[in-house]
Amino acid sequence: MEDQKNILKWLNRETSDEELARLQEAKDFKTLEKIAHYASQIETPKVDVETALADLKSRTKNTAKKGKVIPFNFKQVYKYAAAIVVLLTTSYFLFFNNEASFKTEFAQTKTFNLPDNSEVILNSNSAITFDKKEWESDRNLTLNGEAFFKVQKGKKFTVNTEIGEVTVLGTQFNVKERANYFEVKTYEGLVSVAYKDTLVKLPKGTIFKVVNGKIDTVNTFDINENSWLQKESNFKSTALRFVLKEIENQFGYTIETKEVDLDILYSGGFTHADVNIALQSVTIPLQLSYKIEGKKIIIFKYDK
Amino acid sequence: MTDKSLCDEIYFNEFYTSHIQSASNFAYYKSGDKSTSLDLAQEAFIKIWENCAKIDFSKAKSYLFTVVNNLFLNIVKHEKVVFDYAKSSPYLDVDNQSPDYLLEEEEFKVKLKNAIADLTEGEREVFLMNRIDGKKYREIAELLEISQKAVEKRMSSALKKLRTKIDGI
Repeated sequence: MEDQKNILKWLNRETSDEELARLQEAKDFKTLEKIAHYASQIETPKVDVETALADLKSRTKNTAKKGKVIPFNFKQVYKYAAAIVVLLTTSYFLFFNNEASFKTEFAQTKTFNLPDNSEVILNSNSAITFDKKEWESDRNLTLNGEAFFKVQKGKKFTVNTEIGEVTVLGTQFNVKERANYFEVKTYEGLVSVAYKDTLVKLPKGTIFKVVNGKIDTVNTFDINENSWLQKESNFKSTALRFVLKEIENQFGYTIETKEVDLDILYSGGFTHADVNIALQSVTIPLQLSYKIEGKKIIIFKYDK
Repeated sequence: MTDKSLCDEIYFNEFYTSHIQSASNFAYYKSGDKSTSLDLAQEAFIKIWENCAKIDFSKAKSYLFTVVNNLFLNIVKHEKVVFDYAKSSPYLDVDNQSPDYLLEEEEFKVKLKNAIADLTEGEREVFLMNRIDGKKYREIAELLEISQKAVEKRMSSALKKLRTKIDGI
C-alpha cells in the first residue's frame, strides 16, 4: 500500500531520493521502470501547428464572425408571406375581380339579366362568364353549353364558344354548344355567326348547326317551338348520340347503349318533366328499349 | 480575472498554438487512431472559436478537452486501438547492447503496447497523459474536470492491469 503511493508519486516526479532508493529495492520495480520508460516512447501524431492553424483559419473563414449570427428564420417569413398572399388574393377577388359567372348543374335552368338588361336563360349543365366592368363598352360573354338570349338593342353583342362566335345587335336567339355540336337558332332579328372561316347571317326562323365539324344544311325551324324553354327538347333530323347527350344533360343520368346505331337520325322531342316519358318518346319511335339502373340508363335494341 | 477574450485572434492563436498538440494527443489516446485525432482536435477548436464569447479564458483548456471527448464519443466508433513506438527510441539500459537484451526489450515493448490498448479509455487517457505529455495528476484532473483522487485511482488501476498483463504472460 505504501509502495503503491510511492509509485504514483514517482510517476508524478515527486519522489525524494530517499523514497526512490526504497522503491528500487522492491523486486518488481524493474518491470515498473520499463513500463514507465517505454510507455512514454509511444509516438503520437505530430501536429504541424503552423499548417494546422492555417487550415483552421480557412475553415472558419466561411463562417466569418463579427458579432452574433442570428439564423434567418424562414418559418417566420413564411408565416408573413402566407398572410400577405391571403390578404392580396381576397382583396383581389373583392375589389378587382369583375368576372361574373353563372352556372347550372344537371336538370337545372337559370334565368338572369345581364348588366344591360338583356335576358339570358341558361339551360342545364351550362355556364356563362363575362366581365362586368367591360360590359358597357363590349358586350362579350363566353358560353359553355346552351342558352337562350333576348338581347337589348345596343352595341354589338358577342357570344363566344369553343366552336364558334355569335354576334348580334338586338334579337332573340338560342346558342347551343355541346361536345362536337354547335347550334344557333334565331327567333327575332338577325344574328351573325362566325364559324372558322365562314360568316353566316341568320335571319329570323333560321338555324345554323355544326355537327362533328360539318355544317348542317337544314336551315329552318319553327320559331314557336322554343322547346327547352317550355321544359322540353326538340330535335329535327339529329343523330341519336346528341339526343342522348341532351337527355344526360337534362336529367343527370349516364347513358350506356348496347348495339344501337348512334348515327340514326331522330326528329321529335322529349319533356324535361319525367325521365321515363322522355326516354319513351325517344326510344319507341326508334324501336329501342331502355332500363334504368340507379343513375345509369341502358338503351338496347328492342327484341320482338 | 483576465479580460483576455478568445474572440480576439491574438489570444485565440496563442491558445491554439499551446494546446493543439496535447488536444490531438488526447484524442489519439482515446481513439488510438492516427488519422482522426488531429481532425477531432481541429473540430474542437472550431467549436471554441464559434462560441468564443461564451467561454471564459481560464476555463477554455478544460472546455477544449471536454469538447474533444464529446466529439470522440459522437463520431468515433469503438474500434481496437493501435499504438506504436517512436522509431528511434532509446532502450532503458543504453549501455547494454547484447542481442539477448535487445530482443527481450522488444518483446516487452510489444506486450506493453497491447496491454495499454486493452486499458479502459479512462485509465489509458490518464496514464498516457502522464507518461507521454508529462502532465502532473493535478493538471490532468483539471483538464478532465475530475478530482485528483480520481486521476490517481485510474493511474494505479492502469498500472496494476499493465503489470499483471506483462508479468502474467
